[in-house]
Amino acid sequence: MAAATQIETVTITVNDLELTVPKGELIVESVKRLGFEIPIFCYHPRMKPVGMCRMCIVEVGFKQPDGSVRKMPKPQAACTLPASEGMVVYTDTEAVHRDRKGVLEFLLVNHPLDCPICDRGGECPLQNNTLFYGPSTSRYVEIKRHLPKAYPLSKYVTLDLERCIQCGRCVRFTEEISGDSQLAFRFRGANMQPSTFGLMEFESKFSGNVIEICPVGALTSSKYRFRARPWDLQTRPAICTNCSNGCNVWMDYRVDKVVRINGRTNEAINEEWTCDRGKFGHDFYNSPDRLNVPLVRRGTALVETNWSEAYSDCIRAFTSSTNTAGLGGNANSNEDLFAWKKLFNEGFKSNELDYNWTKVAPIADPTHAKPSIASIEDAPSILVFGSSLADELPIVFLRVRKAWFKNGAKVIVAHDQATDADSFAELVLNYQPGTEATLAQALADAKAGKSVEAAAKLTGVPAEKIAAAAAHLTSSTAIITSHELLNRPGAHDALGALKGLGELRNYALNANDQGAAEIGIGTGTKRSAQILADARDGKLDALWLLGVDPFEVCEDHDLVQAALENVAFLVVQAHTKNGAFPYASVVLPMTAPAEADGTYTNADRHIQRFGAVLPAKGEAKPAWKAFSEISLRLKPGRPWFNADEVGRALGAEVAAFANHSFNQLPTEGLPLV
Amino acid sequence: MSELVQLGAPHDRPRPPRADELNLRFSEQGIHELEALKTHYPDLKSCILPGLWIAQREYGGFLDGAAIAEVAHRLNRSYAEVEGVATFYTMYNTAHKPGKHKLELCTCLSCHLCGSYRLRDYIKSKLGISHGETTEDGLFTMEEVECLDACDRAPLMQVGDQYYGPLDEAKLDALIDQLRNTEGSTVVKMADEIVQVHLRDVERHK
Repeated sequence: MAAATQIETVTITVNDLELTVPKGELIVESVKRLGFEIPIFCYHPRMKPVGMCRMCIVEVGFKQPDGSVRKMPKPQAACTLPASEGMVVYTDTEAVHRDRKGVLEFLLVNHPLDCPICDRGGECPLQNNTLFYGPSTSRYVEIKRHLPKAYPLSKYVTLDLERCIQCGRCVRFTEEISGDSQLAFRFRGANMQPSTFGLMEFESKFSGNVIEICPVGALTSSKYRFRARPWDLQTRPAICTNCSNGCNVWMDYRVDKVVRINGRTNEAINEEWTCDRGKFGHDFYNSPDRLNVPLVRRGTALVETNWSEAYSDCIRAFTSSTNTAGLGGNANSNEDLFAWKKLFNEGFKSNELDYNWTKVAPIADPTHAKPSIASIEDAPSILVFGSSLADELPIVFLRVRKAWFKNGAKVIVAHDQATDADSFAELVLNYQPGTEATLAQALADAKAGKSVEAAAKLTGVPAEKIAAAAAHLTSSTAIITSHELLNRPGAHDALGALKGLGELRNYALNANDQGAAEIGIGTGTKRSAQILADARDGKLDALWLLGVDPFEVCEDHDLVQAALENVAFLVVQAHTKNGAFPYASVVLPMTAPAEADGTYTNADRHIQRFGAVLPAKGEAKPAWKAFSEISLRLKPGRPWFNADEVGRALGAEVAAFANHSFNQLPTEGLPLV
Repeated sequence: MSELVQLGAPHDRPRPPRADELNLRFSEQGIHELEALKTHYPDLKSCILPGLWIAQREYGGFLDGAAIAEVAHRLNRSYAEVEGVATFYTMYNTAHKPGKHKLELCTCLSCHLCGSYRLRDYIKSKLGISHGETTEDGLFTMEEVECLDACDRAPLMQVGDQYYGPLDEAKLDALIDQLRNTEGSTVVKMADEIVQVHLRDVERHK
């Protein structure tokens, strides 16, 4: 960061208080430094100001040589007004109050005031600003404008045109942040309406955000519509476990049911955005297929039982042989994974655990170098290699786009298909499928000044393009790949070649895959596919599935089915009935991520706490608790009582997690050591 | 519950066309002109307005969704953005297909005082169309417009790129007869005139 002395500052006066701010800072931001509030609708700190709603008007003047203040004849919009030397701002004069009343009366002329049935009611900036700054009555007695209500723009977003105050936040979001420009204002004046092209499907992968930034109830969530009143909801901080990014969210719930997800600000992770996959992908919490009681197989049927009987079955199977294995998948907390490994290593004398389902294993990086997601923003150039970021890691995609949009980073996209990042890429290297390693090597060769003609022929990317791309690569280039690349031929060679070209990131895709790797899951002799193959061939005596549905994560369904059919004993530990459920010998109900305390490591090794939001369903237990209780039956000792104790034990054993237990973590999380 | 109060099922929204699904209709001349216009501006966003004029000519005076999508595609802008621009300006015909000739009758103060509403009623009785309507044969569309900035010729009517005024019933009859005998569409002709104005002499299609 630049030294403070290098920033040019100006002295302004706000409500007779002197204040020094960076030159050019918007007045709407400057007054916040003194704790004054300016009401806003269209202004959003993360987007360019447009001055559309006129709500933020203030009186502005300049100091005259004789010390008096000469006010400008008209009020100014604070959101588009840069601070300059000697500026005098008044946010609280009678004239400002009168003007605000006028603006609000005007905004409310065409607003339907259907607050009693509006989803936004109770958390609506228009309601709040009207309460604090607005007139108590309206002089408008004519018939209001009427427009379609409840227009479904997509399966997630419903548009209520009558309520729109035409602030343009949603339009600017799709232009500036998500970049798909799917929304625009049609028509003009009182008829101006934000909508998609021809009112067709709103296809954005980030459409949920416009619901949150809408300052009225014009864009509402189709899923949440009329489900609850905001003041009836309870809200707790949560972590999204739908991908490895670990976005911070607010989980709103009512009577133990998740009602909606909203973005929570964490500058290091997701700023304040969510992707649609995260925002609308939490239905499983309320699924009717949730598992509530332990089940054991008696004869051909799975029958309800108690925990101790289920444990006995497991212990019998897993201690009678050391030829056992476990497969994990996604969204298991660090605590669960550590307790699982401990149980297998010490109790069951086996280390055949794997969490990773890609064709080749991720490269273990002894230096633990995982530059943070936030640092992408400062990279002068970015190479996105073999990853459709908007689909795989949507929030990382937003960072890459921000780096380009705000800081002018040069983005180079290499993929075998068209991706969303192509729209702002400086160069798109569209290679033939399967030639990843060749292209990566060609980039390295071009950088070293060697000829890349042969590689150009093989990959289908012109040699000039490869050379042009290589010219952009420096040691500070952010090279972004994901574990998806590990499914492609020659993945390790490609990663090896890319490593020397900049700051290589190979992001995991499932929540806490990174944590599993750090804890040491997957250090056995067999990888997940081999474990399944052994099970299929009858070479495995018992298999433990921890929160994973192999049918979902493994492409070879025949292999999965044969494996589950042929393994002698199968434990399915899950929170919801999944594809493996019918094959289970024992079913252990597990808490879903929001139902137990836990910590999660995201793709850039940032570890965050996720406190229990909801109570456990039925008799379901956190997985670590079940493992702890089984260990106790194998070898008496002191069990763990809470997630923090598991975390401390983990910290004692794995250096990276030292001082990163549940209670030791701050709200915004910490990078791993 | 919420599904019941939505207009239409949320899952049957038509999706915007993909680039390869567009039916591109610009003529050689239109493509040539657009390429020339692209060089006039620092970025393609600035080229949306002239691009829409080309489309209005190429699509017979009416900018439907396909026309807007084609302009957006050719300028590498989003469909929604171009549609937003097109629907903002009244000289682009986006709401409905106009007739072959658009009778734009000024109804501002001077024309009003000189009898433009009388002419409006006369058109209604003669052609059966009032503001925003098109005759059944698709020849004429009538629109009441704001000041055309030619009060000295009130009451005034604009047809295509020509002003006609001062008008009375007899002159209107003659004008309508003349338009009936006109070969091409004055709406398309005006779009072409505007495109030509944008182009440099060397870029014009001879």
